[in-house]
Amino acid sequence: MIRSLYFALFSAALIIVPATAPAHADEDRDIVLHASPRTPDQIAAFYEARGFPHAAIETLTQTCFVTVSFHNRSGDVVWLELSRWRFVDEHGREVKRRDRAHWNALWEKLGVPMANRSTFGWTQLPEVRDLQPSEPVGGNVALPPPSGRFRLEARFATGARKQGKDIMVTLDDLSCPGRDVK
Amino acid sequence: MTARGLLLSFLLCVTPAQAGTLPEGLIKLDGRPASTLKLADLDGKTTDLGALRGQWVMVHFWASWCGPCRRELPAIAAMAQTKPAALALVMVNTAETEDEVFAFLASVAPALSTLLDKDGQVTERWQPRGLPSTFFVDPRGRLRYLALGGRPWDTGPYRHFLASLTPERKN
Repeated sequence: MIRSLYFALFSAALIIVPATAPAHADEDRDIVLHASPRTPDQIAAFYEARGFPHAAIETLTQTCFVTVSFHNRSGDVVWLELSRWRFVDEHGREVKRRDRAHWNALWEKLGVPMANRSTFGWTQLPEVRDLQPSEPVGGNVALPPPSGRFRLEARFATGARKQGKDIMVTLDDLSCPGRDVK
Repeated sequence: MTARGLLLSFLLCVTPAQAGTLPEGLIKLDGRPASTLKLADLDGKTTDLGALRGQWVMVHFWASWCGPCRRELPAIAAMAQTKPAALALVMVNTAETEDEVFAFLASVAPALSTLLDKDGQVTERWQPRGLPSTFFVDPRGRLRYLALGGRPWDTGPYRHFLASLTPERKN
């Protein structure tokens, strides 16, 4: 009973900040999730300033990067597992993420310097992370640009051994700014 | 030695971690050996973690483009002024150029010095959970604690934690 109540409170304390809303964090809540799709100009400016080669910039600006920040303010472990996140376009089709293997293969092909590869890696959201109480995490998730609006369905396991109830989060009405949205 | 003396000696050797009072955002690690770390700073002076055996070392990974790193640096700069002398602070910049690091540190924390992991490969070996990340390496070269994200190192609980790593021995 107490456990059920805990998870009811835990889930109710989840804050979801849509991309169009100003970024904020509520200090009184347990979990904060914030997603903000980036414009191609923002992406180009960031990586150009860090000396990324032109060919890499070209590919990066053809990608929809969603900057995600997540803060576990609960008293339990929350599992970030990108394999349990689904991006779905307005036609109900899944938009597959471009994961680290995709980028590593591309950087190899383009001969991108190790320093750039390292910087890029640290700007991406980790694939898996057992977020400890009070631990923040942030980074980008890369998608082929959906043609219209899309949503994120994210599922999080809880508890050190994932013994707790899953938390399901849906972020609706996302779009990649700077691209055509119907 | 009296019972009181014994108790005092014991208390002086107990870190906040042993007492179960780690400040928020610090977690205990399993004591595996720290990876090698031998890098040069902006002046070309090399620091080798292996040469710091015998003392606690705070190894901090950061980058100027990382927002939480930028927010944390003033606290690190303030802490560096008052940290216990026996605690070494080793900062590692991840995969940025000398120019980027020099321009940034000069404006934000001119008193701090950092090593340069120019191609990011040392950072990859250490596998921090993200940037910023701070590891604590014990005098035997083993990983003992990890700070999750940026922390207010210049505030009470963190100062107390740092002081507890290197308690002054009283005769």
